[in-house]
Amino acid sequence: MIAPMRSRVACAALVAAALACNEGLQPNTCPGICGTVTFRGALPDSTQAVYVVAYHTFPRSRDSLFTFQPPVTLLRALPLDGAPAFYALPVDNGRYEWVAAVWVKQGFNLANADSTLREAGYYRDPADPAQPGVVNVNAQQPDSIDFVIDFGQMHPPCRYYNPPCP
Amino acid sequence: MKRLLILTVLAAAPSRTAGAQDTAVIVGTVADTLGQPLRGTVRADGGGRPVVADGRGHYRLGVPAGRVILHVTHIGFRPIVDTVTVAAGDSLERNYLLPAAAVELQPTIVTAAKRSQLLDRAVTSVALVSDTDLAHRAVATVDEAVNRAPGVLFLNGQVNIRGSSGFVEGLGSRVLLLVDGVPANQGDRGGIDWDMVPLAQVERVEVVKGAGSSLYGSSAFGGVVNLITHEIPVGWHGRVRATGGAYANPPADAWRFRDYTGGLGGLDVTGSYGTEAVRGSLTLGGRHSDGYREQDRSDQWETAGKAEWLPQPGTRVMASGAWTSHQYEVFPTWCVPGACDTRGQAFQPFMIDRSGRGSYTRSNKGYFAATLDRTPSARFAWQARGSWLRTHFTDFNPDDWSVSNRLGAELRGVRRGSGGDDRVVTFGLEGAHSDVTSDIFGDRGQVGDHSQVELAAYGEAEQLVGPARLTAGTRLDYFSVDGAKQTAVLSPRIGAVLPTGAGTWRASAGRGFRAPTLAERFVTTRAFGFDVVSNPNLDPETAWSFEVGNALPLASWGRLDGALFWTEARRLLEPTFVLVPPDTVPKIQIRNVSRARLRGLDASLTITPFASPLSASVAYTFVDARDLATDSLLAFRPKHLLTLAADYRWRALSVGGDFRYTSRIDRIELEPVFGGDPRVSAKVLDLRAGWQRGSLSARLLVTNALNYIYNLVPRTLEPVRTASVVLTWTY
Repeated sequence: MIAPMRSRVACAALVAAALACNEGLQPNTCPGICGTVTFRGALPDSTQAVYVVAYHTFPRSRDSLFTFQPPVTLLRALPLDGAPAFYALPVDNGRYEWVAAVWVKQGFNLANADSTLREAGYYRDPADPAQPGVVNVNAQQPDSIDFVIDFGQMHPPCRYYNPPCP
Repeated sequence: MKRLLILTVLAAAPSRTAGAQDTAVIVGTVADTLGQPLRGTVRADGGGRPVVADGRGHYRLGVPAGRVILHVTHIGFRPIVDTVTVAAGDSLERNYLLPAAAVELQPTIVTAAKRSQLLDRAVTSVALVSDTDLAHRAVATVDEAVNRAPGVLFLNGQVNIRGSSGFVEGLGSRVLLLVDGVPANQGDRGGIDWDMVPLAQVERVEVVKGAGSSLYGSSAFGGVVNLITHEIPVGWHGRVRATGGAYANPPADAWRFRDYTGGLGGLDVTGSYGTEAVRGSLTLGGRHSDGYREQDRSDQWETAGKAEWLPQPGTRVMASGAWTSHQYEVFPTWCVPGACDTRGQAFQPFMIDRSGRGSYTRSNKGYFAATLDRTPSARFAWQARGSWLRTHFTDFNPDDWSVSNRLGAELRGVRRGSGGDDRVVTFGLEGAHSDVTSDIFGDRGQVGDHSQVELAAYGEAEQLVGPARLTAGTRLDYFSVDGAKQTAVLSPRIGAVLPTGAGTWRASAGRGFRAPTLAERFVTTRAFGFDVVSNPNLDPETAWSFEVGNALPLASWGRLDGALFWTEARRLLEPTFVLVPPDTVPKIQIRNVSRARLRGLDASLTITPFASPLSASVAYTFVDARDLATDSLLAFRPKHLLTLAADYRWRALSVGGDFRYTSRIDRIELEPVFGGDPRVSAKVLDLRAGWQRGSLSARLLVTNALNYIYNLVPRTLEPVRTASVVLTWTY
């Protein structure tokens, strides 16, 4: 009586285990682009927040300034206690030409974006650190996209427009 | 010779029918195939009272003269159908030997038709969680018990039957909760407090699937869950149940959030005393849990009581009530980078968003109900009831509070035709008054007061036509909100049940509806970082629900039940992002926005071989839920739900397990906010073992034995592996 019971229970457990094995949530699942930012310089008193965003194509005009990913509702402000901070951008698969940190001044609105937003650092090409690094997000996890945010070296967005601002 | 003498005397005895010229008498015996007398039931087609054989198996039945069809039955024996012809004024002897049979007793249900009926006579699908199921699984709470019913899925405390509710953070339930037939949804939010009734009070659960508004009105849009409490036995009885256990730690070091193992424990004590006329029971209990996540502790104290007075046959007065005080820390959402130190992780499922630190809720809730049941004759019964449901919650961080009452009353009658259950009419009047006072029900943080009045009249008739039972009925509901906004809804239903050689077929078409709750109309708060604004002009959401099903007994060892269902819903109440200039940030508002279609298949196979120690069941539900307004999937409706269960008994020992698969939820609400979060299917294995000797039992439970880490609603981790031991002493 016991032997058949054991075999039935074992079979049931095996079937269930096979169905259930793995595939649950796993640690360190990056939803798109992830990395760690480190901070340099003094945080301005007028800071409202700092975000990391990604652009499929480099924003060369005011019209393309707000074409970043992820959507605004998914943006998470970075912690600004000075310690290195991990970030994760839930973005779709694809090629991203610019992964940048955006400093937002208090009083920001869409109309005064040129004067209240600053580029505070970006991911750089490992082969040519003077150039932005391109990030390809696909089914495989990309490498950690780490870079430095320097509050002493921030630039208005129009610096990258074509033509750039004076 | 002696037997012949008795039969002769019986036949010659004066009676109302024997002496009449158009009637006759049939006499005889009922016995098993070994000749042992049986107290079998003998009845003739065409009405008339059945008779029960006496202790020696003798019976005497008056019948109309002519051709008569006789039915001879006894529990545990195969029934006999006999056709005889008897002349007026004559008498006839017929003796019956019933062969033994493994007979599964048809469960009697009380919810599908708002009266007692056999399960196979319900026009809609009904899932049962029996007292045996509850004992085997040794679950601690009512929602855990209901969650095991086939076709039922809980999404963070919100019950879904065939994908009806989705998930709207407890704002309105498309399932109606009854406690012994008394509506128990919250008066303000329309949701369900599953912790209001101690599980110790619950004997079984009936889950009616599909629209039930033709009898139950609002909220019964997608189904009805009825908690049936224990009958109180005569004499002194008691039960003590102690539970202790532990939660598994996170499976990855990167997710560890505490340096100790979280535990849980509880104790409940039930005592009852009854005489033939007066009975009462009382339950006291308490539970503590450390929780399986950060900031997840809870403490609960509960009491429940029931009293019955049976002054005379056919009359019962019952009063029952429960009160629960539940204090629990709130785990709002898990944290993502920027919301806490995620230690380099893309998300931390065991840790909370920093903004929710310190949040907890004190929730007190209870109900009191009184009913008077009268059965003046075999053909008529009525019930009057009154009820009071009260909920009071206080939230800390953010600081909110709400007090709500729901007063209800119902007068119901059930009239049967002369042929017993061949014709049954159920009719009644029902009314309810709900009110709420809260700081989130007024404008801009002001305290608001709102109320809603519901009045309804309903009736449903069931008629036996040949072998088929036909059902038709309707209900008219009238609503008034704050004495102004007035709405009336008509909810008809038709159905049929047809027993055949290929099982019992059932079909129904009915209308379901749900009136907007006071919360959906008036609540102003913040959720997920957005303002939630009121919408007092909401209309009820409505649906037409269709079902065709078949229940097929498989010899003496099983039962196969399958149903196809189709629901067409209109004006569904859904949270919607709205942007009203000059606002630059969208707000959330409940609106009548969606047309939806939910269709699918519900199937279950229950295997309970006669005299076998093994029992098993398989249940599968497929739901195709589409938002017709946007031609997209409806949010929070997994397509596939599969439940496997098996139990094996050997002497005093038992082992068993459940496995539940819920397919990945393809679409969620607030996709712009949570769309980037990982989502997986749910695969949960529960194991159990038990030992019982006399009045003592011990059960070991391991839920989510594989410690499968998953979530069903955004950023809300479902329970991890939990091992617990339940010791029960019953007197």
